[in-house]
Amino acid sequence: MSDEEKLFTYLNKSKLSSNIDYEKKIQIAILGGFTLYGLEETIRVKCDEKKIQCVTYVSGYNQYNQEIFDEKSQLYKFSPDITFLIIDSRNVLGELFLNPYSVSVEERKRFVQNKSDEIINLAKTLVKKSKSKLILSNLSIPSYSPIGINETKEEFGLHDMIRSLNQNIKIGLRLEPEIYIYDLNSFVTKFGENNVFNYKQFFYGDVRISLDFLPYLADELMEYVKAVLGLNKKCIVLDLDNTLWGGIVGEDGLEGIKLGDDPIGRAYVEFQHNLLALNQRGIILAINSKNNFDDAMQIIKEHPNMVLKEDNFVCIRINWDDKVTNMKEISDELNIGFDSMVFFDDDPVNREYVKFNLPDIQTVEISDPSNSSKILKSMNDFQVLKITDEDTTRNKMYLEQRKRTELKTQVGNLQDFLKQLNISVKIKNADEFTIPRISQLILKTNQFNLTTRRYQEEEIRKFSQNKDKIVECAQVQDKFGDNGITCAYIINKDNKQQWTVDTFLLSCRIIGREVENGILCQIIEKARKEGVSKVRGEYIKTKKNKPAENFFPSFGFKKEENFWIFDTKNHFKKPEHLVML
Amino acid sequence: MAKKLFEIVSRVMNIPTTEISESSGSGSIPEWDSLNMYVLLNEIEKEFNVKFSLQETLEIKNVGDFKKKLEKYGVNQDE
Repeated sequence: MSDEEKLFTYLNKSKLSSNIDYEKKIQIAILGGFTLYGLEETIRVKCDEKKIQCVTYVSGYNQYNQEIFDEKSQLYKFSPDITFLIIDSRNVLGELFLNPYSVSVEERKRFVQNKSDEIINLAKTLVKKSKSKLILSNLSIPSYSPIGINETKEEFGLHDMIRSLNQNIKIGLRLEPEIYIYDLNSFVTKFGENNVFNYKQFFYGDVRISLDFLPYLADELMEYVKAVLGLNKKCIVLDLDNTLWGGIVGEDGLEGIKLGDDPIGRAYVEFQHNLLALNQRGIILAINSKNNFDDAMQIIKEHPNMVLKEDNFVCIRINWDDKVTNMKEISDELNIGFDSMVFFDDDPVNREYVKFNLPDIQTVEISDPSNSSKILKSMNDFQVLKITDEDTTRNKMYLEQRKRTELKTQVGNLQDFLKQLNISVKIKNADEFTIPRISQLILKTNQFNLTTRRYQEEEIRKFSQNKDKIVECAQVQDKFGDNGITCAYIINKDNKQQWTVDTFLLSCRIIGREVENGILCQIIEKARKEGVSKVRGEYIKTKKNKPAENFFPSFGFKKEENFWIFDTKNHFKKPEHLVML
Repeated sequence: MAKKLFEIVSRVMNIPTTEISESSGSGSIPEWDSLNMYVLLNEIEKEFNVKFSLQETLEIKNVGDFKKKLEKYGVNQDE
């Protein structure tokens, strides 16, 4: 847990916060069952720090039911992208929170069932009536019980009531794509009930999350904001000596470094385990270390307590070059922007050097190894709204990529290299299986993205059912392996004569293989078959999408005002090295 | 003098100490609403290591009230 600024600092900053026109924009609504004074201000400041332009709406005190059920409410007029609905046990249980044993077991059970249904219905209503994602808090389970040590002997006691409310709500809403449950109970557990709840503040102004802890709550809620905007980190770059193990390879050698079997070594092993867990859910790892390559690789390959193996690192830079040069190479090789990278290093000079030259990379200080795991686990920058199959197999794909790069260096000539890859491209419809990945690509892809229109999963689902739109994606395979779904596009059938490419993007890992041309050929052939004479598209320039700039002109599209236009009667050349399926 | 107290008010309310007097409060400082007042109280309690009762909290309307309450607790308000 990183230490938070005090609430008043945020309050004061929020008055200054600029209305800078950032590229990333979001509308956030906050609904509360109690006073959440300061939360909105803190979230605005935190957005500003992340270069997110944020507009907020805070509903009146305890007005959430009316706001959600009334279609004409201010909430719907505001049209949020994300709505936070923060309620607590007192809201839901009412009198029973204070006196749960005034009613029978059966009544308690019935009460919980009714309340669960009510909350589930409320949540579903909100997402049905708006395009907003809903982040609904669960309820914190108090440590106190009026029957004390007998609480655990009681059938369906107070704690059970809240526990089953939480469980019912989770099960009832788990499969709703636009609804997420924020685990407020874990928040209270993490910081402690006696800290988070302060009776004096509660009686003074119905404050139920004390002012000292509101900034921490805001920080946790920011995880959703960052995930919705696709601002998650994708790659952890690691130093080796005194970061992944204790000691210095060059001085201490294989036997001398600390890794396992002693207090210091155990801390490094635990840290590696935590890194491995992140790696297995899709965060890629790379090494940037000043060392003799062979010495350091010997540890990685031969040390019995190394948790991370050579294959867990998709890019390895162990040399005596400066760390900034290495970092640029890692970014190029992996096709990952600096703002998606996090750098762990124990050496302040290295950290400062990287921070100064590449300010977009987040640098993290690792000094006392006993803190490393805590720091890593408290980072809220790795969140994605949904973990897809692509995430869990990402490491393997990058390894295959490493082998492709090796082949490319061997072959030398680009066309020969592409031929030798045996690339096949399989076009797939948007369906239950592909929509989560299409959505992920649409939210995350920055580089080869012609229009950078960010659609949420629900919108894509609606598009896919619209007869006047084509929503498809492509799975790309080659002799080294499956790249997965790495291209997605949305075509609007404007009328009988004209189609418009609304969205077209490629994952960075397949840029440079002319797959995009093969797919565009398919689209134009399809248009031709349906008698459409004109296919047009836009290139909307952003800071990052330069790789897509020449896509239309190099294919033969002609510029007319804001659009690139292709007459389907014209000839075009299909890339010969691709097998289209 | 109550240098430290004034400094805390200045920091929390984000106004220069020169603009703060004992009569500064909900009437004269626009930021001084009921919850910002509570944020201030929270800071003062921590900085001087005291705990006001709920009754005392409700009685405080301006900087002078804080000063009097702190005097009652025998707190040195200058450092």
